[in-house]
Amino acid sequence: MSTLAPSRPRTDWTGIVFAALLSAAIVFPLLVVGTWAFTEVWRYPNVIPQQFGLRFWGQTLGRPDVWGSLMLSLQLSTVVTLLSAAICLPAAYAFARMDFPGRTFLFFSFLAGHAFPKFGLLIAIAAIFLQLNLIGTFWGVVLIQLVGTLLFMIWIPVAAFQSVDRRMEEAARDVGAGPFRVFWSVTLPQAGPTIAAAVLLSFVGTFYETEGAWLIGAPGIRTMPVLMISFINNQMVIQFGAVLSVMLWVPSFIALMFARRVIGGGAFARGFGA
Amino acid sequence: MTELAEGGARPLIEKTGSRRPTGLLLVAVPVLLMAWLIIWPIFNAFARTVWRPDADGDYGFNLSSYVFFFSDQYSINNLTITLWTTGMCALLLLVICLPIAIYLRFSHGRLPAYVQALAIFPMFVPSIILAYAFIRVLGPNGMVDILLNSVGLPKIRTPYLTPWGPVIGLVWDNIPLTVLILLAGLGSVSNQAIEAARDVGARRLQVFWYIILPRISNSVLVAISFAVLGIFSSFTLPYLLGPASPEMMGPFMNRTFREVNDPLNAITQAVITFCFCIAFGLFYVRSVARNQGK
Repeated sequence: MSTLAPSRPRTDWTGIVFAALLSAAIVFPLLVVGTWAFTEVWRYPNVIPQQFGLRFWGQTLGRPDVWGSLMLSLQLSTVVTLLSAAICLPAAYAFARMDFPGRTFLFFSFLAGHAFPKFGLLIAIAAIFLQLNLIGTFWGVVLIQLVGTLLFMIWIPVAAFQSVDRRMEEAARDVGAGPFRVFWSVTLPQAGPTIAAAVLLSFVGTFYETEGAWLIGAPGIRTMPVLMISFINNQMVIQFGAVLSVMLWVPSFIALMFARRVIGGGAFARGFGA
Repeated sequence: MTELAEGGARPLIEKTGSRRPTGLLLVAVPVLLMAWLIIWPIFNAFARTVWRPDADGDYGFNLSSYVFFFSDQYSINNLTITLWTTGMCALLLLVICLPIAIYLRFSHGRLPAYVQALAIFPMFVPSIILAYAFIRVLGPNGMVDILLNSVGLPKIRTPYLTPWGPVIGLVWDNIPLTVLILLAGLGSVSNQAIEAARDVGARRLQVFWYIILPRISNSVLVAISFAVLGIFSSFTLPYLLGPASPEMMGPFMNRTFREVNDPLNAITQAVITFCFCIAFGLFYVRSVARNQGK
């Protein structure tokens, strides 16, 4: 780490202090978890594990409940993301390009889901699902997670569609391309990367969604995060949790790489109303 | 996400009257889904906690579940710990994130880039992994205890399963958004304003108080609203890291709904959390709408 800010001759002590404190608070705990995942024996009070190894990876991956939850989580995330894309992307296109009564009001109405305390809202929804017998079912969880993706999957693609250069679309239309041809060959390639980022974020967000799955899904539907809660609560073998954490973090890391496009500068924060 | 309404620059909407019904048709499914699963449950929750059958089965205006909540010492304790946790988190978030945001706004180079990357990093750590990491580091015989012991110091009093557990976890979780929102707000503070103030001899604290703070007060309120909305009814972190009693509203509602199997009182608790957060929710919607409309 360079201790000198390039443009400045004096040492950036404030920066060094922040960097050190944040490293200790944010990187250090994750390093500890990473270490536990590759530890076979680590007895208190040794600073370094007595024995490293991959034994617990085999044991964790050999558990049928881990496989069941992983498959279920992947299934849920795929179904929710596909449904969300199917209903939200056309809506985003309409919001960006068409005029219809109530357009502005409907557009901002998607904020409603974020303007209430989330778990309170989930309880209110759960009460309705209770009457519909959707508690503990796959489709109940799909619905609850689908609602969670709406804002992201509409607002980000709307911005993407609006940033497409209209003159290119008009030019294509002038030389005789039909509306679908224009959409497929001109609009989509330009809006595509941002939309892909939104789809990826909604997949990863759904994969980690814990509270809806916990409240609506139990006891029949045990997603990966829900399984992890029971691992933590029951204080089973420490390494199981660590291995799961490292495994679970992989999709998040991929999202991190992609999301750097979307979460550039203040654009993201402004979306939250800053 | 931000370019929604720059209508002046180019025509935003194709004004072809013939497409009107098509547009509504395309947005119908998500709008109906939201109406069914967000708007309807909220009204339903209000309605069915105040208008419900009494002992004889006659429907009528009935506030007894609210009376019960506010006369039950256990419920009051849970509400109090929730308010305390939310307030403490909001305070800590400001104390931690304001200096970071101000530092990031006025520095350039590799070190600030590293600081920013770290500050945003928790956004990509699912809270369930955070809870696990917390227990391994700050829990009994955790990494901090190991390190203290190795240099001959006594163990810490672990915050795990105390009211401070959720506070630490929730602050950690909310740092990225708070920093991003404050940083976006600081964008409106011009370098000239700062330099002018420094030229006439203002000190750092004076610059902060008289120049920076008035310009970012709106962002500070947005950041707090966002944090409060997220923290007030948070579930995962308080459930895993907090004490069993008193518990925060999230775990309390969960237990009332699932373990006690008492939807009526769970919904009552939900409506009470709505009422406590309504001001923050409205402020949040207003700021986003105003910002998008710029």
